[in-house]
Amino acid sequence: MFGFNVDKVRKDFPVLNEKIIYFDSACMSLKPKQVVEKMNEYYYKYPACSGRSGHKLAKQVENEVDLARREVQKLIGAGSSEEIIFTKNATEGINLVANAISWEKGDEVIVSDKEHNSNLIPWLKLISQGVVVKVCKGNEDGTFNMKNFKDCFSKRTRLVAIVHVSNLDGVENPIAEIVKISHEKGVWILVDGCQSFPHKAIDVRKLDVDFFAFSGHKALGPTGVGVLYGKKELLNKLNQFIVGGQTVLDSTYEGYDEELPPKKFEAGLQDYAGIIGFGEACRYLKNIGFREIEKQERKLNELATSLLNGKVEIIGPLDAALRGGIFAFNIRGMKTHDVAKMLDASKGIAVRSGAFCVHSWFNARKMDGAVRASFYFYNTEEEVKIFAKEVEKICELV
Amino acid sequence: MVLCLIALPIFAILGIFSVKYRRLVVESLECLFKTVTFQKCKSGLDDRIKSQITGKMLKFSPSAARFFYANYKIISLILLIVFIWSGWVGGVAIYNYVVYGNCNGPDSDKFCILDPTGAGSATCEIPSNVGGGEVITPVKELNRPLIGNEEAELTIIEFGCYVCPYTNEAEGTVERVLEYYGGRVNLQFIVYPLPGHEFSYESSMASKCAEEQGRYEDYHRALFAREMNFNNSTFIEIAAELGLDVGQFETCMLNNTYADEIEKDKAKAIAAGVKGTPTFFVNEQIIVGPKPFKTFKTVINGELGLSWWTKFLDR
Repeated sequence: MFGFNVDKVRKDFPVLNEKIIYFDSACMSLKPKQVVEKMNEYYYKYPACSGRSGHKLAKQVENEVDLARREVQKLIGAGSSEEIIFTKNATEGINLVANAISWEKGDEVIVSDKEHNSNLIPWLKLISQGVVVKVCKGNEDGTFNMKNFKDCFSKRTRLVAIVHVSNLDGVENPIAEIVKISHEKGVWILVDGCQSFPHKAIDVRKLDVDFFAFSGHKALGPTGVGVLYGKKELLNKLNQFIVGGQTVLDSTYEGYDEELPPKKFEAGLQDYAGIIGFGEACRYLKNIGFREIEKQERKLNELATSLLNGKVEIIGPLDAALRGGIFAFNIRGMKTHDVAKMLDASKGIAVRSGAFCVHSWFNARKMDGAVRASFYFYNTEEEVKIFAKEVEKICELV
Repeated sequence: MVLCLIALPIFAILGIFSVKYRRLVVESLECLFKTVTFQKCKSGLDDRIKSQITGKMLKFSPSAARFFYANYKIISLILLIVFIWSGWVGGVAIYNYVVYGNCNGPDSDKFCILDPTGAGSATCEIPSNVGGGEVITPVKELNRPLIGNEEAELTIIEFGCYVCPYTNEAEGTVERVLEYYGGRVNLQFIVYPLPGHEFSYESSMASKCAEEQGRYEDYHRALFAREMNFNNSTFIEIAAELGLDVGQFETCMLNNTYADEIEKDKAKAIAAGVKGTPTFFVNEQIIVGPKPFKTFKTVINGELGLSWWTKFLDR
């Protein structure tokens, strides 16, 4: 309503007051004070368990967890809060699906060639059960190749597991079309939303995805909390993965009755402080607004690209608008970790270096990795200019 | 690879105090192992150090950073050489300090960081405008009185002054040495009256006058017992206390009977290259200043063949 004010926003992130330029939000976003305070509220005021005891504190936790679940539901446009399963992180959510489907020998899973290990290894692990993993190659500039994707399907295709926005180059895959094609073939689709949920408005019903997994720690939330969204009817069909307390309605020495989703999949005491904190993070994101977030990230990436294009080798398309908040690059003749270390040592610029858990993509190209600056709404143009200047200095070293 | 070698001992020391360095010690060790087995060091520790330093330099001087980055290997090699050299020098200094009480060895009065006050090496300086020429190591003189057992195997020759605080400080150690070796070691004291020190010359002359009456050793000890508290009547008083012929002693003092002898002693000190008092000669070994007992013990043991290494070599 009053417009986006980055200086005002930055006051919510105490770490930004120190001498640091934080460009590693694709790995871990910073946490606003509101989130930390909300988590502290749990520990100070109602540090009890949820869904078990009947006392006042327990009921308060139950209410707060329920509110957090509804915040997530609203933010991603899910039809019901029962479709929101809290996990440890996106990796656990994806593993849940991989382990909860009754696979048959010969079943096929399609993945893209830019999957994070979290959305690759769980499927590769199924190879030992006879599952076939098909890798759909993208275009040279990192964009999605729809023809290749279509060619990957067969009668045995059971699931498409694909990243929404790549953590490697920031390129967004055309999920709506991918979903449409998958559903036309009668195939379920799981989307890794780690790099999309924190940066753009998501509507899982509009996208019509079957499963959508993401982590809280990349979206202003605490570490140790993630979400798996699943369509209710599909969640009911899935087997249980991790079982124990809360996942059953009743048990005898001979057996047990399964709970309904989401409890069916949330075994044991949960990270209540984290879940409640993540609910607060969702409220914060909603207040900022994804339109403003996207706008700010694009502005920063366009600036970085204009300042450094031609001086470094950019990973992905040259058009910054296609790379969200990700600016991944290499300096010819210089090791990626060296560049990251120098940026850190010179101006306290925090970037990621290496393979960003997308080893498969780099290995296929015989590359060691890249340096990745990932921008978020709390970053400024001034910071990008300092970053670009330092990168230029490093370029001159070789 | 080169910096890993430097990093190992540094991180090993830091690792004693902080666990964060222990991981780096392991990396350095691994790197060292790879190096000595002619394998490529893959820890990346070298690169990280290089990048860290370059990054810090970029902040202040990009051109210096460029120079460092381009010449990293040669710079780190120079650093390694300096490191090994300083390690060697440091090791020798520590050895000297432990064995002789001074980083620079027993014959030095130069500054020692391990003994910043210089208490163990301080001397009463002999003016540098005297002396010169070839250095002659002093030897035991048959016609000079000895302190301690006359039949001793080893004679320490000391150049000292009765009014020099450092000579006085060393006196207790000297007496302990004579007692410790139970007659195997004695002392020949050559006096050097320091110019500008009150009663320096008088005390020197007094010891000579006492020698005339065969009571040198007693008088020598009596002078040190006064701990530099001398006045015009002190020397006569000591002579009287020791039962000397006071008249003869007084005449000796008034006539400066041994002025030539004293000058010869001074010349001996200069010829021996003595820069200050006290300076001790144990055969060819030199001890400068009021060094601790262990220093004397180490040197004397070596000369008497009592050192473990001497015994080892004799086997």
